Amino acid sequence: MHHSKAHIWFVWPAIILMIVILILPIFLAGGISFTNYNLGNSSFEWVGTENYEKMFSRKTYIKMIISTATYVLIVVPVSVVLGLVAAIMLNSLRFGADIYKTIFFLPVMATLLAMAIAWEFTLHPTLGIINSFLANGCGGIREFILGFHWLPWVSSEDSWYSVACANNMDFPYWLKDKKTAIWTICFIGVWQAFGFNMVLYLAGLTSIPRELYNAAEMDGAQSTWEQFKLVTWPMLGPTTLFVVTITTIRSFQVFDTIEILTKGGPAKTTYVMMYAIFEKAIQQNITSIGAAITVVFIIFIILLTFFQRYVIEKRVHY
Amino acid sequence: MLARHYIGESWKHGLLIIGALIVLIPFYMMVSMSLKSQQEIQSISGGLVGAQEIQTFPVCTKHGYTEEVCTMRPYKYNFWFAFKKAPIPRYLMNGLIVTVSIFLIQVLIALPCSYALAKLRFKGREFVFSMVLFCLLIPVHAIALPLYVMLAKAGLVDTYAALIIPWTISVFGIFLMRQFFMTVPDELIDAARMDGMGEYSIVWKVMLPVAIPALLAFAIFSVVAHWNDYFWPRIVITGNRDLFTPPLGIREFRGGIDSDEFGPMMASIVTVTIPLIVAFIVAQKRFVEGITMTGMK
Repeated sequence: MHHSKAHIWFVWPAIILMIVILILPIFLAGGISFTNYNLGNSSFEWVGTENYEKMFSRKTYIKMIISTATYVLIVVPVSVVLGLVAAIMLNSLRFGADIYKTIFFLPVMATLLAMAIAWEFTLHPTLGIINSFLANGCGGIREFILGFHWLPWVSSEDSWYSVACANNMDFPYWLKDKKTAIWTICFIGVWQAFGFNMVLYLAGLTSIPRELYNAAEMDGAQSTWEQFKLVTWPMLGPTTLFVVTITTIRSFQVFDTIEILTKGGPAKTTYVMMYAIFEKAIQQNITSIGAAITVVFIIFIILLTFFQRYVIEKRVHY
Repeated sequence: MLARHYIGESWKHGLLIIGALIVLIPFYMMVSMSLKSQQEIQSISGGLVGAQEIQTFPVCTKHGYTEEVCTMRPYKYNFWFAFKKAPIPRYLMNGLIVTVSIFLIQVLIALPCSYALAKLRFKGREFVFSMVLFCLLIPVHAIALPLYVMLAKAGLVDTYAALIIPWTISVFGIFLMRQFFMTVPDELIDAARMDGMGEYSIVWKVMLPVAIPALLAFAIFSVVAHWNDYFWPRIVITGNRDLFTPPLGIREFRGGIDSDEFGPMMASIVTVTIPLIVAFIVAQKRFVEGITMTGMK
């Protein structure tokens, strides 16, 4: 090791920027959240925890927490499982894996905002190809498959599909209906995220030594499922932990699709946190409540990451 | 045994093809709409490319162009009119300016810092590194509001600076480079010092070339993230069209379902989305590496 003064010039720019850009804003948000400050006002008063009380009592913010939680709790598990399933399938293919990989990874790369608009048209009740595909399938094989008529307990007269066909093609309005909007947004979230998880799992799979499978077979794990339980899943532990954390943090930050597709509606069913911050603080200029949401948001994320690190240190070592 | 294998294989292909088709639906919709005429879009006819009949476009003549100019095939019209309606090259240029500046400043700040953290001994080094680890927890989007308040107070809203400043410090970049430099043998640096090189020249003439693979991955990660970013530009660019990045441009084209013509709108969206997708398909391996490296320690 070497001694010189060079490190001062190497390290200080980064330190100053970290303090000013990343750490100071947290304290600023904390400070503002206890005031009634609005950007543009020259004065403000301390109001104690009023903003937080509003946040946990008013209906709007309760809905905000519900829709954010719904989104995260759907998108994270579904996109992680889909990513894992896709990775395992691709890993076992003899040919063609690269093509699927490219296709599944496209949504990760493509500008989400552009894709949100493409989805808007795809799902549009009259212009979209989804509903026209469904309408053209009335009475045919599509109705049989997607209406779940093949399940013994679904009667072919009152499946959701048949009812829609009978009622003058009354198929879901997807993003416009408060019963379906959040699920549609979740679907787009999964569509966008699972390719990323798949690629991480593919990387994880290649690092599992072949011998482990042979050893498992010796120990009597014959079926694919048993081998998965005994070797693949435990060996993918660290990957899973990382994938879950990063998908969760990203899901908490969902914004682009909401702003383009639903603006938090209908009836605030898709009113997620980032959109709430944007709407309240930027559009309506109620900075203080936006700051309170920001603080809660940051606490969520930091707790989550600490939890991840804790699990890494305690549990995941083989 | 062999037959069973083939059945298993085709069963997987079947599922994967269905998955791939679902994933591709919006891309199909986007490309198809950018090629077809308004009537074909509204009646959901014409398949992927439509009939491409030469016709005169009423919206075009309404904009004051002669009938002769406005008569052409739909695909040509959609793209031609998209460029007439909005300064698309300007948006792409802004995207390039912002993403490249962000990346260069990130490297300028992160590379010396990570070199110092990995290879120099000084008081407080552990503290600085733990600060980096702590800052890794903070997503910039989450603190967008206080950052916006600070920039507004500094009078920087609606400037390039506002688009770039929050991203100048990449703690992830510092972390990544530091891990990478830890693997560089000390002898290399000692040899450089023997040759009389100062610490500055070591950073830029020895460490930089060594770090190229990591830097390339980081570049892809950084450029993709900021080219596609919509949230931050949406907040700090309030009205000045000259500063619009590609996603803000897209947002502006979208009169949405109410807009008079969907073809040109989708054509502009395709134009803005395509550079990155083409780059991805050409250099797929590097992209996947670069983007997944975010978490691989």
